[in-house]
Amino acid sequence: MKNILTIIFRLTVACLLAGLVMGIAFIATNKAKKHNMHVHEHKVMLSLLGYSAKNPAPESVAMHPVYRYLVGEGEELATGYLLPLRDGAFSFVTIDLAGAFVAQTPVALAVEKAREAEDRSQAISAAIGVEKTLRYADQTILVTNGGKRTAYLLPGKFPGFKTFIAAMLALDQNFTILGVEIMEHEEDPGLGGEIVQNYFKKQFKGKPLETVKKLEVVKTPLPEEYRQALEADKSGLKAEEVARIEEQYKDGDIYALTGATISSRSVTNGVKAMVKKFAYRLAILDRVLVEQHIATPF
Amino acid sequence: MATDKTNLQLVVNGILNENPIFRLVLSMCPAVGISTTVMNGFMLGIAVFFVQVCSSCTIALFKNVIHPRIRIPTYTLTIATWVTVIDMILAAYLPEAYARMGIFIKLIVAFAIITMRLEMFASKESVTASFWDGIGMGLGFMFGMMALGFVRELLGMGTILGYDVLGFKPLLFFVLPLAGFFCVGLMMAFFNYIEIVYKRARRA
Amino acid sequence: MINHTIRRILLSLVLALALPVLAQAQELIAAKSFGKAANEIVVTFAGTVERAKVEDPANYRIYEEKDPDIQLALESVVLAEDEKTATLTFKEPLNPRLPHVVSINRLAESGAAATFTVMKPYLGYLFSILIGALLINNFVFTKYLGLCVFFGTSKRKDTAKGMGLTFTMVIVVSAIMSWFFYQFILKPYGLNFLQIVVFIGLVSLTVQAVDTVLRKVNPVLFNAFGVYLVLVIANCVIIAVPLILADNEYNFWESFMLALGAGGGFLLALYLMSSVRERMELANIPPTFKGVPIAFIVAGQFALAFLGFSGLSLF
Repeated sequence: MKNILTIIFRLTVACLLAGLVMGIAFIATNKAKKHNMHVHEHKVMLSLLGYSAKNPAPESVAMHPVYRYLVGEGEELATGYLLPLRDGAFSFVTIDLAGAFVAQTPVALAVEKAREAEDRSQAISAAIGVEKTLRYADQTILVTNGGKRTAYLLPGKFPGFKTFIAAMLALDQNFTILGVEIMEHEEDPGLGGEIVQNYFKKQFKGKPLETVKKLEVVKTPLPEEYRQALEADKSGLKAEEVARIEEQYKDGDIYALTGATISSRSVTNGVKAMVKKFAYRLAILDRVLVEQHIATPF
Repeated sequence: MATDKTNLQLVVNGILNENPIFRLVLSMCPAVGISTTVMNGFMLGIAVFFVQVCSSCTIALFKNVIHPRIRIPTYTLTIATWVTVIDMILAAYLPEAYARMGIFIKLIVAFAIITMRLEMFASKESVTASFWDGIGMGLGFMFGMMALGFVRELLGMGTILGYDVLGFKPLLFFVLPLAGFFCVGLMMAFFNYIEIVYKRARRA
Repeated sequence: MINHTIRRILLSLVLALALPVLAQAQELIAAKSFGKAANEIVVTFAGTVERAKVEDPANYRIYEEKDPDIQLALESVVLAEDEKTATLTFKEPLNPRLPHVVSINRLAESGAAATFTVMKPYLGYLFSILIGALLINNFVFTKYLGLCVFFGTSKRKDTAKGMGLTFTMVIVVSAIMSWFFYQFILKPYGLNFLQIVVFIGLVSLTVQAVDTVLRKVNPVLFNAFGVYLVLVIANCVIIAVPLILADNEYNFWESFMLALGAGGGFLLALYLMSSVRERMELANIPPTFKGVPIAFIVAGQFALAFLGFSGLSLF
C-alpha cells in the first residue's frame, strides 16, 4: 500500500514538473511564434505585390484586412463582413444570402487586437448580440495605394493530393492574377512538392478572370521558352523577352508537373474556386458599400 | 557502476561503434522519410540531439528518486516534455524548417533510440557521463541523417545544401521519399563491406 | 469462440453505421444524388409533383454547404416522364466532394420550402478513409512510420501476425480515447500544446490496461501476444494516428476508421514482409547485404509497388 502511495506521489510530482516546463516553454514561444508568422506572411504579401527589399513598398501603400463570417440566427444564415472604417473604427456589415443589406453594427475593437481570432469574434459577438452564432469563414486583404484600390490578397486553403495546401493569391483590381504563393503543403518531395517551384506557380501569373474561370490542366510538357521565362532569375532572360513570352501564354492552360498531375490539378482547381468566389462576393459587398454609404478606406 | 570510458570515447562511440542509424538500426522512420536533403537531416538531427541530451541529463539527475516500477512511464514523460519544448521552439523561430519536417518532430517521442539510451546508460551513470553519451548519440544520429541526405541530395537533385554542384539531376528517384529504403539499405551494405575488407586485411 | 465474438462485433458495427443513414429519410424527397455528368444533381420525389413548379429554375436555391452566400447558377430542370425524377443541370461543373444544399420553394402543398443536402454516401466516405489508411497512405510503405518495429518483427510470419493483431487492437482503443480527450478536454480548454504528452500517456495506459486485462481474462492469448505489447509503444504509428486525427478534426467514426486502417495496414505490411523474409533465408545473398540491408531493399520495392495505389479513388 505504502509502495503504491509513493509511486502515485512521485508520478504526480513528475507530471507537475513536466507540465511546468512545458507551460513555461509555451508562454515563452507563443508570442514569438505569432509574431514570426505575421512577419513572414507580410513579406510574402509584399513580394506577391512586386515589392522587395530592393524595391520597398512606398508609404502610400496600405493593407486593409476584411474578415468574413457566417452569422446564424435560428435557421437563417447570413454573411457578415468585419470592415475597417476610414476613422480607424470597425463596423460589422451583415448581408443576407440573396445579397441584400441587413444591418450595420459598429464594433468596439482596437486595431492591433483585430488580428487575434479570439478577440475579434468576442468583439463582434458583443456588438451583434450573443444569441447569434458566429463562424469565421475567411480573410481578404484589400491593398490601396494613395487611397485607390490596387490589389487583393486572398489567403486560402484547399485539398491537395496528400493533405491540405495553404496558398496566398494576389489579384489586381480587375481580378487578373498577380501571383500565387504556396504557404504550406505536405506533397511528396520531388513530385507534388514541385508546386512551390517558380516554373509551376508562376504559370498563374497574368491570367485574367475570364481565363481563370475556364482554367484546366494539360499534360503536355512545358515548352522550353516558357520555362525559361518562368525561371527568369535562373536563365537570365531579359525582362522584355519574358514579358513577350508571358503575354503569349497568358490565356493558355496550366502545364501539369511531371508525375504530379493530381497535385497540379488540386492547385489549379483551388485557385480557380478562390478567384471565382471572391469575384462573386466582392461584387455584392461593393454594391452594399455604395448603397449604404459606408466610408471604408478602400 | 560507472563507465570507464573517457568523455571523448563516449562521444566517438555514439558516432561510430554504436551509430543509431547504421549500427543499432533504430529510429529508422526519419532516416527513410525526410533525409532527402542535407539540411533536413541536419535540422532533425539538431532536434534529436537536443531531446537526447536533455532527457539523458534529466534522467541521470533524478535517477535516485525514480521508482523502479514506474521507470518506463517516467522516461516517456521526460522525452515527451522535451519533445514538446523543441517542437514549440522550432515552430516559433524556424517555421519554414518546421513545416518541412512535418509530423516527424512530434514523433521523436516514439524513437526507440532515446528510450534505449535512457534505460541502458543514463539510469546508471553520472550526469557528466550521460551528458557526453547523449552528445555522442545525438551527433551520431545527426551524422547518419546528414550522410543519407548528402547522398540523396547529390544523386537526386545534383545539389549540396541547395547549391548546384553537378548542374544536372542524375537520378530524380533518390529524392523520392521511398528511395530512403534503398539508400539506407545500400549504405548499410557499404559499411558492412568496409568492415569485411578491414577484417580480412587485418587477418592477412 | 473468437470467430463468433468477432462476427458479433462486426454485425453490431455495421448496424451502428447504417442507422444514421436510415434515419435520414425525408417525407418529400425519396432520393438524391450527384448525376452522371459533372454538372448534374438528380432528385427523386416521394410522390408525383407539379411539373410547372419543379421545372422552374427560379424556385431553386442551391449552394455548397460551406459557402451559403454563393448561389450556384441553374441551367435547367427536367422532370422525367414518371413525374417523380428531376434532373438539375448547372451552368458549371459541381464539386461532388463537397456537400451541396438544395432548397426548393413552394414545393409542398403548404408552400413551405423543402431543404435537403446532397452529398456522397457517408458510408462510402468512411470506407474511403479506411482504404486510404490501409493501402493508399499505408503508414509503413508510403508514410515511412513505425519502421523500427516493422524491421524487428517481420522475420517470421507468426511474429508478424501476433504483432500486427496486438497493434491493431491497441491503436483502435488508444485512438478512440485520444479522440475523446482531444475533442472534450484539450480543444475546449486551449491545451493543444499538451497533445504529445497526453497522447503518449494514453497509449501507455492502453498498453498497460490491455496487458492487465489479457493476463487475467485470457492467459492463452496473453502468452501468445504479451511480448508484443511492450513493443507497441515504440512504434511511431501509434502516436502519429492521434496527431493526424486531431489535425484533421475527424469525428468519432472517421477516427475509428483511420485507426482501423492504420492497424490493418501495419498488419498487411508485416505479413507481406515476413513472407518474403522467410523465403529469403534460403536465398543466396551476398554477405554484405545479409540481414537488415537486404530487408531495406525489399521494403523499398514494396514501397514502389504501393506507390501504384496513389491516386486511387473508389468513392
